[in-house]
Amino acid sequence: MELLEPTREAFRLLFTGDAGLWRIIMTSLVCSVTALVLIAPPAVALGFLITKVVFPGRRALVVLVQALLSFPTVVIGLVIYMLLSRQGPLGFLKLLFTPEAIIVGYMVIAFPVLVVFTLSAVQGADPRVYETARSLGANRWRAALTTLFEVRFGVMAAVFNGFGRVVSEVGCAIMVGGNIEGLTRNIPTAIALETSKGEFAQGIALGFVLIVLALGVNIALSVLQGEGGMK
Amino acid sequence: MSTAALELIGITKNFSQRELLRGIELSLATGGSYALTGDNGCGKTTLLRIIAGLEPPDGGEMRVDGSVVNLVRYPEALRHKLIYVHQHPYLFHTSIDHNIAYGLKARNDPAKDRQVLVEDAIQWAGVGHLIDVLPQKLSGGEKQRVALARAKVLNPHLLLLDEPTANLDSDARRHALELIEKLCADGVTVLIACHDREIIDMPGMKRLLLESGRIAPV
Repeated sequence: MELLEPTREAFRLLFTGDAGLWRIIMTSLVCSVTALVLIAPPAVALGFLITKVVFPGRRALVVLVQALLSFPTVVIGLVIYMLLSRQGPLGFLKLLFTPEAIIVGYMVIAFPVLVVFTLSAVQGADPRVYETARSLGANRWRAALTTLFEVRFGVMAAVFNGFGRVVSEVGCAIMVGGNIEGLTRNIPTAIALETSKGEFAQGIALGFVLIVLALGVNIALSVLQGEGGMK
Repeated sequence: MSTAALELIGITKNFSQRELLRGIELSLATGGSYALTGDNGCGKTTLLRIIAGLEPPDGGEMRVDGSVVNLVRYPEALRHKLIYVHQHPYLFHTSIDHNIAYGLKARNDPAKDRQVLVEDAIQWAGVGHLIDVLPQKLSGGEKQRVALARAKVLNPHLLLLDEPTANLDSDARRHALELIEKLCADGVTVLIACHDREIIDMPGMKRLLLESGRIAPV
C-alpha cells in the first residue's frame, strides 16, 4: 500500500484548512466536550458519595459501575438507538441521528469512567481532609468540595480519561449519529468511512488529529499536575 | 452557679465487642484547661472525636452551655464552636493564610473581618515568616502551629487538641507548648489529650485520667 502520498495529502488537507475536514474535527470536539461538561458534575458527585456515604447496595453499585466500563460502546449505542428511535419511548424527542444523540451516547460512555476514577481518587485522599474541613465548621457540601479540590489531579485525570474514551469512540456515534456528513460525522466515524472507501488521506489526517488530541490531553494533565501530582 | 462549658453524661462507645468508653462523666468549666491522660488506646482520641462530632457515641448525653446536643445528628452550628485539631494536622493544598481563613469562610465571616483575624492569628502563632511557604513543605511543628492558629482564629467555645506535642523535636515542641500556654492564658477552654508532662504540669491545668473506659479522679 502506498502510504507516502496519502500522508502528504492528509497534511495538505489539515494545514490548508479544508472545511469538510475541520467540520468533522469540530463535531468531535463539540460533542465530546459538551458531553463531559454535562456528565462530569453528577458523575464526580456520585464517585464522591459512593466513597463517603455508607448505604445498602453500595458494593453492588460499585460493581455495576465497574462493569459498565467494559460495556461495548456499540451495545450502548444500540440501547440508546432503541430508546430514541421513532417507536422508542423517547422517540418524541426526535434526537436520533443528531449531534445531541451522540452527546447522550458519550455521556453514557463517559459516566462510568468518571465515577470510577473519582472514586479511586477520593478513596486515596487522606481521611483527615474531610474531617479537618468538618471540624473547622464546613458543612458537608463545602467539606466535599474541599476534598475534591485536594484530589483535583485525580479528578482531572478522570475527566481527561473520559475525554479520551469518547473522542475516539466509533460504535455508538455511528449507531445514534448516523455518520451524516456536515451534521454528525466526527473523527472516528469519518476515519471508518473514508478507510472503507479506500480514501486514506482524510483517514490519516483525522487519525493524526486524534493522536494529537490524545497527546495534548495527557500533556495538559501533566502540566496542570506539575509537582503537585507527584508524591 | 455558672453553667459548665461542656458536660458529658454516661458516654459509651464500643469497638468490635470491646467497651472502649464505659460511661464517661465529665464537666468542663468555661475557660478551664484540662489535660486528658491515659494509656495508649484507652479512648482519649475517640472521646475528643465524639465531642467534636466526628463520630457518634453508642450512648450518653452531651450538653454545651447547659443545652443537650444531639450527638447522632450533630448540629452544624456547633462545628464552628467545638474545634478538633488532629495529632498530625492536615493543611490544605493552598497558602498558609487561606488555611487559617478556612473556618472563617465556612462560617461566612465578611472578607474584611477575615483578613484582620487571619493577620492576628498569624502573628499570634508566630508563623509570619512561613506565609509564602507551601504547607506541604512545613515541618511537623510548623504545621502544628498553623493548625493551632487556624483553630484559635475561630474563637472556639472549646478547643480539642489531640497529642499536640507528640513526635515533635524539642524546638517545635517548645513552640507548641508556648502556644498552648497562651491559649490557656487567653481563657480559651481547652481539652488536651496528651502524655506530655509539661502540658500536664502547666499552671492551672487540671488533669483527667481516662482509665478502663471511665474518667477517674486524679
